[in-house]
Amino acid sequence: MQDLNDNALMLKVKNGDLDKLGLLYERHKKRLFGFFYNMGNTPSVSEDLVQNVFVRMLKYKSSYTGEGLFAAWMFRMARNVNYDHHKMSSKKRTVDGMVPEDMLATVQDEDSQMESNEDTLQLNKALSRLPTDKREVLVMSKLRELRFKEIGEVLGCTEGAAKVRVHRALKDLREIYLQMETV
Amino acid sequence: MDKDNFEALAMDYLAGVMTEEEKRGFQTLLDSDEHLANQFGELLVTYQKMEHLQESEPSSNMDDTFYTMLYTAMEKEHAKKQKRFNLGSLTTFFSPKLALGALLVVFGVALGYWLNWDRNQQAVEIVGDSNETEMIRQKLVLTLLEQPSANQRLQGVSEANKIESADEIVIQALLQTLNNDSNVNVRLAAIESLSHYVDKPAVRQGLVQSIPNQESPILQITLANLMVALQEKSSIEPFKQLLKEKQLDTTVQKKIRNSIESII
Repeated sequence: MQDLNDNALMLKVKNGDLDKLGLLYERHKKRLFGFFYNMGNTPSVSEDLVQNVFVRMLKYKSSYTGEGLFAAWMFRMARNVNYDHHKMSSKKRTVDGMVPEDMLATVQDEDSQMESNEDTLQLNKALSRLPTDKREVLVMSKLRELRFKEIGEVLGCTEGAAKVRVHRALKDLREIYLQMETV
Repeated sequence: MDKDNFEALAMDYLAGVMTEEEKRGFQTLLDSDEHLANQFGELLVTYQKMEHLQESEPSSNMDDTFYTMLYTAMEKEHAKKQKRFNLGSLTTFFSPKLALGALLVVFGVALGYWLNWDRNQQAVEIVGDSNETEMIRQKLVLTLLEQPSANQRLQGVSEANKIESADEIVIQALLQTLNNDSNVNVRLAAIESLSHYVDKPAVRQGLVQSIPNQESPILQITLANLMVALQEKSSIEPFKQLLKEKQLDTTVQKKIRNSIESII
């Protein structure tokens, strides 16, 4: 079974066994899609960005060393894909990803207004107002269930520093949420 | 418990990675400091609320796009390897110095031995994850069979031939291709592929049921040959129905009559 872990599969892809990328895709597609979606992208854009991550994996497969966690390598790539996407559309968007109104509109498109929970909508809106770096750590930690060690690898910091960053992002999210309630 | 370490401890607690002993220590810290306890209470509420954030699922389009991209990349890789091999052969063939001939022979033998050894090694590895590879290949087949380009659908059928044991979904997709594909070559390739699974009753039944759907003479004759080979008696009735059609090609009529006689 050692041959089937993520690192071993990616090394096989690197050595030309490209169909193993299909296995990695099946394992991680939902997690990556959720990451992009929670980062404020629409479902169709999120699908495109997942695609871009796997295209990059093929493009940069020779740089994969097999050291460290595959998930960390993958999410580092996902962050770059997200940055690049928003940089390209920055003329229309705010610096930190989608404008809050877009995020809210996405949510409203997905579910009927009648069923939407006011609290959840507010929190979604608050999340979209967080700076990208803080939103990323919260999404990776709480919603995509990455361990602090993995987040540390993605961000290039220690496990302890990753915990502190997630804590501060959560605190900021709460503050934004409370400010919105009082308005 | 260290107050300076509160942020990291709070996150460990929220993420549920603390041991029972660590939890008790953290609880003691909160009991001794009202400010920290309030701060943690607020964080806990927000953290729990995050569980109800909106989620969405990717559509099947994402799979289609991915597998098409992967297939194209695999084709390119294959072509690259092929090209490398051809160039290598040419250099050997046109080698100007005969003196090097003997050396090349030795090199060739060594390379052959090495390649063989490598293939054996790969065979051992393939056993370990053949199931996953088969699964991916089946997905690839399904995606390619849905492509608008006939060439890609043909590639899909060709990929299906590489599957050691196709599951029901792939077989159904091949039968659907046989009945509905607009291209005769693709339908012909689907018969060829399905003929590997004639030991399955569902495949034989599917082939028999497709007889009345075929309008192309080449497909009608191929199916007639296959039914004779299988001695499939249930195909007689559909063939008789086909014979009643006025527009049926005379060669095909003759072939079908002979086939019915052979099966009876």
